[in-house]
Amino acid sequence: MELTDADLIARVLADDDQHAFGELVRRHQSSVRGLLRQLTRTDVALADDLAQETFLRAYKNIRSFRGEARFSTWLYRIAYNCFREDARRRKELVGVDEEQWQAQEDPKSINPGLRHDLMHALRLLPLNERTAVVLCCQNGLSHDEAARVLDIPLGTVKTNVLRGREKLKRTLAAWAPN
Amino acid sequence: MIDDETLDRQLREAVPYIDDDGFTARVMANLPTTRRESGWLRAVILLGLALIGSGVAYLIGAGHVVREGIIELANFPIWLLLVFAFGCGLVVGAFAVVFAIRKTPEVRDLTRLEF
Repeated sequence: MELTDADLIARVLADDDQHAFGELVRRHQSSVRGLLRQLTRTDVALADDLAQETFLRAYKNIRSFRGEARFSTWLYRIAYNCFREDARRRKELVGVDEEQWQAQEDPKSINPGLRHDLMHALRLLPLNERTAVVLCCQNGLSHDEAARVLDIPLGTVKTNVLRGREKLKRTLAAWAPN
Repeated sequence: MIDDETLDRQLREAVPYIDDDGFTARVMANLPTTRRESGWLRAVILLGLALIGSGVAYLIGAGHVVREGIIELANFPIWLLLVFAFGCGLVVGAFAVVFAIRKTPEVRDLTRLEF
């Protein structure tokens, strides 16, 4: 019988079982690294560094996890905080960089294929919309869970998801079936 | 235009599973070990204190109390010794079961089941 996340967390709490924590890392590494790759715009090295920091923080603070939310939601919140702190450290003002980054993008570099276009369109979204879309549409979080992860009002999450979706749809209009 | 459901499905499918490629091992190698060390340290301190306490008790003359106790116990009838041993076994066994339940999440969860 495969142990649930709650079982593994209980083992970490009771016995400081690092093998149990390792299993949690193995289960969630893909989604956490995927989220951070989206946030860092596929800067794989930076995303993996932040993912590592995320899991180390999770281990140190696992006693503060009360099981009110899913473990993955809790991890996403830590990952998002790591990303924001790193961005602050680098003094990257996200709003300014967004525009610069969009201006630097060469439309000719877009490869054919819906998947590639979709990921490209996703990376073009402003950070707040991109994060909301990645959490809710890609990772299946509810609006409420995403609001907790991002520490913003529920209405803002809904608006960001709506706007992000609309922009993605417009960008991908050519792929719509006739 | 693409509908919400199709868009969400495409978004989910566009994200490939990221292979571990040693990521978990790197995280594990960087986990702090202080809590584990403190557990060992605590056990060593407890054992050391117990040994020192026993040595001091023996030196100040409590040793003869233990010797007399053992001699007195040896004079007890055999059935009483058996009952005493059985009682001790029950007490130790009960502690072991309680400790095992506390340390085993699956069993602990089972004991909380309500029917």
